[in-house]
This record gives sequence, structure tokens and C-alpha cells, in this order.
Amino acid sequence: MILHILTKAPDSRAATQMQQALGNQDSVLLIEEAVTAALNPAWAAWQKYRSRIFLLSEDLTSRGLTHIAAKHQLPTMDVDDFVALTEQYEKTVTWY
Amino acid sequence: MAVPNALLVIIRHAPHSSNWLREGLDAALVAAAFGQPVHLLFMGQGIMALLKEQGSGAPGQKATLPTIDMLEMYDIEQLWVSEGELKSMQLSTGSLVEGVTLIADQEIPGLMQQHATILNF
Amino acid sequence: MQYGLLVMGAPYSSPAPHSALRFAHAIITRGHQLAGVFFYHDGVHNASSLMAPPQDELNLREAWLELHQYHDVALDVCIAAALRRGLMSESEALRHGKQAFNIVSPFELTGLGQLLELQHRSDRFITFA
Repeated sequence: MILHILTKAPDSRAATQMQQALGNQDSVLLIEEAVTAALNPAWAAWQKYRSRIFLLSEDLTSRGLTHIAAKHQLPTMDVDDFVALTEQYEKTVTWY
Repeated sequence: MAVPNALLVIIRHAPHSSNWLREGLDAALVAAAFGQPVHLLFMGQGIMALLKEQGSGAPGQKATLPTIDMLEMYDIEQLWVSEGELKSMQLSTGSLVEGVTLIADQEIPGLMQQHATILNF
Repeated sequence: MQYGLLVMGAPYSSPAPHSALRFAHAIITRGHQLAGVFFYHDGVHNASSLMAPPQDELNLREAWLELHQYHDVALDVCIAAALRRGLMSESEALRHGKQAFNIVSPFELTGLGQLLELQHRSDRFITFA
């Protein structure tokens, strides 16, 4: 089980490569530029990894995307939850 | 394929575009020099590091091929190349250095799970 | 748990150092230990004692320094990545015949072996790049 951290936008090479490497039990945390995924509720990853993909709320707030993420009912977590998630996953891989 | 304590180094950046490739390979070589089993996975633009006809760059810009040739000396013999990405780049194994193994896209997640440690460059 | 961090983004060009610092404080707040931070690739610039951002911006080197002072976090900088980018300690400056240096304790210039050692020693190892 791996926690994948994506730091680049959903249309980036990093995002594509992360999805190629993603296992059935892996989770995804979207941070930095990757939180722009909140703008696109039609992004295939939202459905495909449902209940195991999250946006980092601090990075949404700093970019003015909190309300948009809420309107699209996308799951968020704060940095404390981020640490909690790393407690559950022995391995993490960052895609940048 | 499953080697306990093996390090998987993922190479995703091309030669002559950034220093990610060089510093990624350096990490792989150092781990191997310390006796750790090291496996490499080349994805996307990283596959270009394996092109056998590549040369050196602008004056003073080092070539990557000599480093690739050194891998075997360090007992880094497992070089996986993402088959889907090789195809999507319109490349074939004939253009690459000897000794690479193609890995089907659906096997990449399994490869990730098998390695206790991963460094992603 | 013991955590280790790998930072590969440069200060003031990449958000990675800020993300890493925020995560580092959250680890400690939750009662974990941060064993060390390893700076590699452009992340080595985080260690420059010559960085002088405007007063209304966080001095990232000082932020790392505080992490060391209050939580005893080791701050290791890859020597090969540092030297080729013009970051060096006083002893390296002497060795290379340079007039200035910008890496001082508690930042330590060290080899990539330290990165692998940190990865092995840590229960959790997170990259920010």
C-alpha cells in the first residue's frame, strides 16, 4: 500500500505517470499545483479513485479554491490529516 | 523479481533538459556502491536516457550514456522500461541500449508494491 | 514514529520547501520524531547562509535552523549537489580556493549515503520536490 503525493496539475506528465503506478489499495493526496484538480470535477481520477483521493485544504485555501472544491463536493484533508494518512501508509511516493 | 530491501529508482526526466536524470542516477549508483540491490524503472521522458545513439550536449554538457554503461559495473542490471510509454513515444527497443526489460503498464503498480524503498526522480 | 524528509525544491522558486516545513511541524505536533531532513538537487539552496529575502518573506534557512534548534532535527546537504551549485562550507571553500562560503553548522555537507541511511532509519520517508 502506497500513498501517492501529486504536486503537479492533473494534465501534467507527473499526474499521468502517477496514475500508471497506482495500485488498487493505494491512496492519493493532491498538494501544491495538484489542488487545481478541484476545478475539474469531471477529471477521471475523481471517480476512479473515489474515497481514496484527497485535496490538501491549506493549498486550496491559499489558491482561493476552497469554495469551488466544496461546491463540487470533493474530499479534502488538512496537513494534520496528511500526517495521519502517512501513519497508515508505510510507503509514500511523490510525483512532481 | 522480488528482492527484499531492494531500492527502486524511478527515472522520469530526459538528458539535457534538467539535472534530475543525472542526480537520480547518482543516487542509484551510490546505493549500489553501498551494497544495496538497485532496480531502475524508466518512465516517460526518462526513457530517452537509454537511447543508444545519444551524444554529449552543448559545450561542456556531459553525456548520459557513459553513466548508463556504468550501471552494469555497479551490478544494477534490472532496467525496466514502461512498454506503453515506449510505444507512445514511437520508440522501439532497437533504439535503446542492451539489457532493458519491457514492463507492461498493468504490472507497474505491482512493481511499486514489491520494493520496500522507492526514490522518484 | 521516526520520520525522514527529502527536500529537492529550491527556496523562492518551488513551493516544496514551504510544504516540507509545514509537514515537519505537523509531524512534531502529532508527537512523532523528525530524524532528519536531507537536501538534494535544487533543495541544497535551502542551506545557504547568504540568502537574504525581503523582511516580509520567511527566511527559509532560518526556518530550518529553528527546526534543528527546538527539535534536534539533523540537516544534511548533499555535497556533490551543493558544490556544483556553488554552496560550500569553509573547509570546502579552502579546498577549492574560493573566497567565500555559505554552509555553516548545523547544516552538514554529506554524501548520498546519508540519504539512504536516513531512508532506512525512518519509519516514514516523505519527498517534497
